[in-house]
Amino acid sequence: MRLVTSLLGLFTVSIAVAHDQIPGAPQTVPIVIEGGTIHIIDGPDIENGQVLFENGKITAVGKRLQLPDRTLQVNASGKHVYPGLIECMTDIGLREISAVDETDDRTEYGNFNPNARSWVAVNPDSELIPVARAGGVLVGMTAPRGRYLRGQSAVLYLDGWTVSDMALRAPAALCVDWSYLHPRSSDDKKQAEQRAAKWKELDELLEQARLYRDARHDRPEQTEVNVRLESLLPLIDGQLPLLAAADSQSAIESAVAYAQTQDLKLIVYGGYEADACAALLKRFKVPVIVAGVYRLPRYRDDPYDASYTLPERLRQAGVSFAIGGSGTVSPGGAAAMRNLPYHAACAAAYGLPHDEALRSITLSAAEILGVEDRIGSIKVGKDASLIITDGDILETESHVTDAYIQGRVVDLGSRHKMLYEKYQRKYRQR
Amino acid sequence: MLRSFISSVLPLLLILVTGLAVAQSPTAADPIVGLRDRRPTAHALVGADVVTQPGSLIRNATILIEGGAILAVSKDLNVPAGFQVIDCQGKRVYAGLIDAFSELNVPLADEQPGYWNSNVMPQRNVSVAAAKNPIDQAAKLRSQGITSRLVAPQGGIIKGTSCVVQLGSDPGQRLLSAKSWHHLQLTVPRTGSRPRYPNSPMGATALLRQSLYDAQWYSRAWTAYRSQPTLPRPESNRALQVLVDAIDVDTFVIDAQNERMAIRAGKVADEFSLKWILRGSGREYRQLAEIAAMNRAVLVPVNFPEAPKVQSAEAARSTSLQDLLHWDLAPQNPARLHEAGLTICLTTDGLDDPGKFLAKVRVAVQRGLDADAALAAVTTSPAMLLGLDSQVGRVRRGMLASLVICDGDLWDSKTKVKECWVAGERFVVSPDKQADDSLAGQWKTTLRADKVETELTLELNQADGRMSGQVEVVEAKRGRGKKETESTPKTAKLGNVVRGRDRLTAMLDLKEISPELPPGQSQLTILTVDAASAAIEVFASLRLPDGKLLDLRMQRQTTAATETAVSVDAEPDESKEDGQSDEAEKDQSEPQSIAEVDVNPSTPTLIPLGAYGLTERVSDQPTVLFRGATVWTCDQQGKLEEADVLVRDGKIVAVAPSIEAPKGCQVIDVYGKHITPGLIDCHSHMGTDGGVNESGQAVTAEVRIGDFIDNTDIQIFRQLAGGLTTSNILHGSANPIGGQNQVVKLRWGETMDGLRMREAPAGIKFALGENVKRSQSRYPNTRMGVEQVIRDQLLAAREYQTHWRNWEQGSRDRLPPRVDLQLQALAEVQRGERWIHCHSYRQDEIVATLSVLEEFGVQIGTLQHILEGYKIADRMAKHGAMASAFSDWWAYKFEVYDAIPYNGAVMHDQGIVVSFNSDDRELARHLNTEAAKATKYGAVPEEEALKFVTLNPAKQLRIDQYVGSLAPGKHADLVIWSGRPLSTLTRCEQTWIDGKKYFDLEKERQLRDRDADLKARLIQKVLNGGPPTGKPKRDKVAEEDRWDRFDAFCTAHGSGQAGKKQLETSKKEAK
Repeated sequence: MRLVTSLLGLFTVSIAVAHDQIPGAPQTVPIVIEGGTIHIIDGPDIENGQVLFENGKITAVGKRLQLPDRTLQVNASGKHVYPGLIECMTDIGLREISAVDETDDRTEYGNFNPNARSWVAVNPDSELIPVARAGGVLVGMTAPRGRYLRGQSAVLYLDGWTVSDMALRAPAALCVDWSYLHPRSSDDKKQAEQRAAKWKELDELLEQARLYRDARHDRPEQTEVNVRLESLLPLIDGQLPLLAAADSQSAIESAVAYAQTQDLKLIVYGGYEADACAALLKRFKVPVIVAGVYRLPRYRDDPYDASYTLPERLRQAGVSFAIGGSGTVSPGGAAAMRNLPYHAACAAAYGLPHDEALRSITLSAAEILGVEDRIGSIKVGKDASLIITDGDILETESHVTDAYIQGRVVDLGSRHKMLYEKYQRKYRQR
Repeated sequence: MLRSFISSVLPLLLILVTGLAVAQSPTAADPIVGLRDRRPTAHALVGADVVTQPGSLIRNATILIEGGAILAVSKDLNVPAGFQVIDCQGKRVYAGLIDAFSELNVPLADEQPGYWNSNVMPQRNVSVAAAKNPIDQAAKLRSQGITSRLVAPQGGIIKGTSCVVQLGSDPGQRLLSAKSWHHLQLTVPRTGSRPRYPNSPMGATALLRQSLYDAQWYSRAWTAYRSQPTLPRPESNRALQVLVDAIDVDTFVIDAQNERMAIRAGKVADEFSLKWILRGSGREYRQLAEIAAMNRAVLVPVNFPEAPKVQSAEAARSTSLQDLLHWDLAPQNPARLHEAGLTICLTTDGLDDPGKFLAKVRVAVQRGLDADAALAAVTTSPAMLLGLDSQVGRVRRGMLASLVICDGDLWDSKTKVKECWVAGERFVVSPDKQADDSLAGQWKTTLRADKVETELTLELNQADGRMSGQVEVVEAKRGRGKKETESTPKTAKLGNVVRGRDRLTAMLDLKEISPELPPGQSQLTILTVDAASAAIEVFASLRLPDGKLLDLRMQRQTTAATETAVSVDAEPDESKEDGQSDEAEKDQSEPQSIAEVDVNPSTPTLIPLGAYGLTERVSDQPTVLFRGATVWTCDQQGKLEEADVLVRDGKIVAVAPSIEAPKGCQVIDVYGKHITPGLIDCHSHMGTDGGVNESGQAVTAEVRIGDFIDNTDIQIFRQLAGGLTTSNILHGSANPIGGQNQVVKLRWGETMDGLRMREAPAGIKFALGENVKRSQSRYPNTRMGVEQVIRDQLLAAREYQTHWRNWEQGSRDRLPPRVDLQLQALAEVQRGERWIHCHSYRQDEIVATLSVLEEFGVQIGTLQHILEGYKIADRMAKHGAMASAFSDWWAYKFEVYDAIPYNGAVMHDQGIVVSFNSDDRELARHLNTEAAKATKYGAVPEEEALKFVTLNPAKQLRIDQYVGSLAPGKHADLVIWSGRPLSTLTRCEQTWIDGKKYFDLEKERQLRDRDADLKARLIQKVLNGGPPTGKPKRDKVAEEDRWDRFDAFCTAHGSGQAGKKQLETSKKEAK
C-alpha cells in the first residue's frame, strides 16, 4: 500500500481535488497487536500486552491471549498502543484553504442556523484529513462556525470513502456561540438588560419549537414544516446536547444557568475560566472542552501560564473535561489538528498528571461527545480504532507507525509525505 | 504687517467695561462717528493680597489699572482721582492663567504649492481663524481664571503654527501672538479619514523625518541654483520654505500620546537639533527617568482618569491592574515631572469640560505638586515659553491687566474665582452674595375689604437672589368687633413674585387665608424707596380681583424668632448659587472622586505599569556558576552531562565539567536540569506599537520598527517565560519592500532602548506573493510586478548612491541630492550594511528574488517562511541563503498548500542554515517544542534541531558571535529547563539574559501574588469612593491600541482581515 501511495504521488499535481490515500478495506482477518505497551486508558497500562480485534471490534485485551486461526500478528515490541486520539472541536472537512473562500464551508449565512449540518459538507477527500490522522488523531468533531446558532456538529472518523463511512455520531451537538447571548457593556445595568433580552430571544425560540412540535404532532396537515424549528426538537427533547462556546466565568455561568431553565444538556467549549465555576459545573454535571492549551492568557493581568495550567486546575476542582486542540480558528484549525497531543502534553508539563493528559484526548473526549461506547479506550466491545507509536504519543518526536479505524488499516500517507518523497527524489537525482 | 503690529510693544488697550462698541480709541484706527465719547477706564483694586508671581505675595496692596495695562502694584498706593475703586479686601489676586494648549481644526488656506503629502502643512496657521471667531467656551475658561490660551492647529503630522489668544470680548485685542510654535506629531492623525500614506505611526514618523530632510535639501538646492543658474530650477514649495525658515529658529511642540511617544519625540528632535517642547499625555510618570533626561518643557494635561468600572466582580475581572494603577497614580504626574526638574505648563488639553481645570490642578497640588510650581505652570512658565513674559504671567507694572481675583488661595478647593480680568476688561465670575434685600423680613399690615378687617403678616424671603413670600392671617376683626382666632393660621403663598430695583410684584388668592375675603387673584405691588441716607420706605397696594385698589400700610416686624427663621431659609444653597451665572463655577465645589482625595503613596509605579511590572530593574549578578546541569551548548562541545556554566559580567566564561567556583561567586545548583542557550525567534511582531505594517505604499523602506519598540508589551514577559531571549521584530508583509526590522532582547523592565540589541546589524523586510499583490488599486498585482518593483528599487538605490558619491567628491553638475530615507535603506542593502529578511512562499518567487539580488551582488539575510524551500534547497544553497520557517503551518492560504513539515529537515540536509520561528505571540512561548518537529519530520538529530531555535537564527541575524550558543565570550543568555529541552513535557524554569535573571518560577509566583493583592486593594479603593459620578463615558482608544500587534496581511492570523484595523479604527475615532 505504501508503494501505491508513492507511485500515485509522482503523478499528482499540486492542485489536488482528492487526496491519494486509499481508505482501508473492512477487516477480514483477526488482527492482534502484540509486544508493546498497551495504554488502555481506563485502567493501568499493560506492558508487553496484546490487543485482539475482529470485524472491526476489540475482542480481547491482555496477555497471552487465545488467538483465533489466521490471526494477523502485528509486532509492536518497544512501541506504544493507544486508542485513536479524539479532537473535540475542528473544522476538518469543511475547509481546505482558509483564505480561499471557495474552499471554505464553515460559516453559513446569518446568525440563525440550528439546521445547518456540518457532516453534509465534509469533503472526505480533503488533504487535511490524512495529515491529521498521520499524527494519531483518528476522530474529530467537525463543527460549523458563526456568530450565534452555528449548526450541528458531527463526530467523524478520519477515514472513509464517503461521510457515511466516517460518521460515528451525527448530529453530535448543537453549537452556539454563547457570547451572543451574553453581551458585554461597560454599564452593568444596561448589560443585565441586554443579556435578559438575549435570553428572552432564545426562550421564545425554544417555546416556538415546542409549540411547533406539538402542532406537528396533533395537526400535521395544518402545520407547515419549518426546518429551523424542526432542527431544535432533539435539543429540547434532551437527545442532543447544546455545545456553548464560553470562556469567561460569567458567560459559563450564564450558559449553565440557562441550560437548566430549559432543561438542556450542555457542554461548555472554551472554558478559560471554568475552574472558577467548578461548583456549578459539577452540580449540573456540565463537562468542559478546553479550547486549546496553547493559548494566550485572555487578560493582561493573568498568570502567563493561565492557559497551560487550566486542565490541571479543572482536574483539581473535579470538573470533567477534555482537551481540545487547534479548534476551528486561525492560525491552524484543522491544518494543525495533528498537534492535538502536544496540547495535552503542555498541560502535563504544567501540572496535569500524564495519564490524565492522555485521557483528556481519548476517553474523556469520547465521554463528552457521547461516543464512549465506541471509542476512547482499548476495551473489549469497542471499535478497533487504535494507533501504534514508536514513543510517548505526547512527545513531539514520536511517530505514529500504524493506525486502525474499526479494524481497517489506515493509510498513514499524506500530501506532506508525498511531497517530501517527491522532492527527496529531486535531490537524489543530482 | 499684522504680525509685527501685534508682537511689537503692546499698545495701551481700550477697556470695554460696558461692552459698548466705542469707535474712537487711542488703540484703534477707526474714525470717530458723531461725538467723541470716551469714558474713564481706570480702576484701582484696593486692599487685595496680590501674588505678583509664584512665591511673592504683597498683602493689602493696590493695583492701578488703566487702558488695559497695570500702572502700578504696591502697598500704600494713593488712588489717583478718577480711578474707580474696587474693594478687594480679603481677596487674593493672581496673574491671569495661561492655558498653553488647545486645538482648532482649520483648513490649509495656502494656495501655493505645498508638500506632496497633505499631512505635511507647516505653512498652516490658525491665527486668522482663531482671531476671527469667538473663542470657544471663553466664559468657562475665564471662570477658571484663564485669560489667554494657545490655539494650535489640529490634524496633520507637521501641523502648522499656533497662536495665542486673549479671552476678552474685543476681537481687535484677541490675538496676543499670531505665531507661537510649530506643531508636530509622530502618528496618524485621528481627525478625518485615515490617509492612504502614512497609515501607521511608523510611517508618520518616517514622513516627518523625510519632510525635515527635504527642507534641508530645499535650502541647499536653491542655494546651488542661485549660484549656478544653469542647473535645473528647483521646485517652489511653500511648505518646505516655511520649514527651512523654522528649523533652526522656531520652537516645535511634539505631541506624545503616551510615554513612549515622548521618548521617540526626543530622538527625532535630536536628529534635527530642534528646539522643542513636549506635549505630554499624563503618562510621563511611567518612564520618568528617560523623559526627565531629555530636559524639555512639558505641556501637561490634567485630565486624570475616571475611576475604572469595577462595581461587579465581572467588571473587576476585566479591569486591568494597569488601568487601576493609572487611575491611582496619574494625579501625581505633574508633581513628579516638576520634581524631576522639568518646566511644566498645566493645560486644559484633553479635559472634556474645561470648567474642571482648576479642580484638577488642585488635585495635582493635593497629590504633591508644589503650590508655587503649580502657579508657575499656569502663569510664568507658559509666558516665558511663549515669549510673552513681558506681557502676561505676572502682576507688575507694564504687564497686561489680566488678573484672577479669588476669595482665597487659588489651590484651596473651597476657593472661588470671583473675577477674571482680561487686559483690563472685567468679567465677574461669581458675584458677591447680593446685599440683603431690605424688603426681606416680616411685615405687618391690615387689610380692609368688605368691612372685614384682617390683620396679616407678610413674610418675604430672599434665597438664591430670588424673593418668595407668603401671607398669613394674624387675626380677623369683624365689623361687630367679635374676635375670631384660628388655631392654625392659614397662609397664602405669593405667586409670580418679581423683584425689580424699585418694586416687588406678586399675586395671591385671599380666599386661601380666609373664606370671607374675596376669591380670585389679587395683585400685590410693593414699591420700595431705598434712599441713600435713610431707612427703606415701602408703599404697598393690593388690587383685588374686582379691580378695587387697596393701599396697604406696611410695618416691619422684628422678633428674634422670625429673624432666625428668615436667615435660615435664606441661607444660599451652595450648589445652586452659580447655577445661572456660570455653570463652570459649579465644579469647583463638586465633591472630588476618591482618587483625587485619597493619597496613597504606597501604590508602586511598576515598570512597565501593570501586571508583572518591576519596582526596580533586574539586578546585575557579577559572577554566577550554574552547577551540574545537562548543558546543550549548541557549540563544538555538543551536549555535556553534569556540566557547569560560569558567567561573569554578563558573558559566558566557561562551559565545562567541574568548574571551580571563583570567590564571591553565586553558585546555582541545577543538577537534573537542562541548560540551553536562550531561544531566538527570527520572525516576530510583538513588542511594537508602531502598527507592524505601513501598507500605504508598495515600498516603505523608510519606516522603522526600531522607532516603535513597546517595552511594556506583556508578550515580552510571556515569551521570556518560555525561554525566549532574543527576537527579531519584523515589519509586516503588506508590501514588496517593507520597513526596517529591529532585533531586541527580552530585557523585561528595561527602557525601549534597553531592549534593543545593539550588536545586531540592520535589516529590512521584503515580501513576495499573495500578501503584497493583494492591493488591487496599486502596483504590483502579480508576482511579475513584485520582481520588477524589487529590481527597480535596487536600481534606483544604486543611482542614488552614485549621485551622492559624485556630490561628495565635489561634482556640482547637478542639484545637490536629496536625503531619501527609502533609497538610503536600499543603498545600505547593496553595501552589505542591511540584511533583507524576505517573506516568501513559492519556489518561483524565491528563485526570482534570489536572481535579482545576485544581479546586484546582494546576499539575502534570510528567506522567511520559505515553505517551499524544500523544493529549491539546492538553489538556495548556491546563493548562500538561510531559511527561517514555520515548523508545520500550512493550508491557511493557497500559496502554502504545498507547505510540508519536512521542509526544515530537507533544507537542513541540503546544508542550509534553518531556523524555526513563531510569527505568533503564542507560538513564541514554546519554540523549543517547535524545534522538536525537525526531529519528528525528517529526523534532524536533536542537538541540530535545537539549533533551529538558538544558533541558527543567531547566524541568520548575523549575531552568532554574541548569542545562540554557550561558548566563552558570548552573552550569558541561557535557559534552565525542567527536563529535556525539546520535550513537550518540559517547562522553562529560569531565563537569563546578559547574566541577569529575567525570569524564574519563584519570582514569577511572588509577582503574581503581589499583583493580585495590589489589584484587590485598588478595587477596594475605587469601590470605597462610592458609586462613580457621572455617566460612564466611552474612553478614547489609547494610541497604542489603535494599531495591530500582528501582521494583518498574513492570512494565518485571520483570513481576509488584511489591514482591516487600519481601515476601521479611523471610523471609530472619527466619532
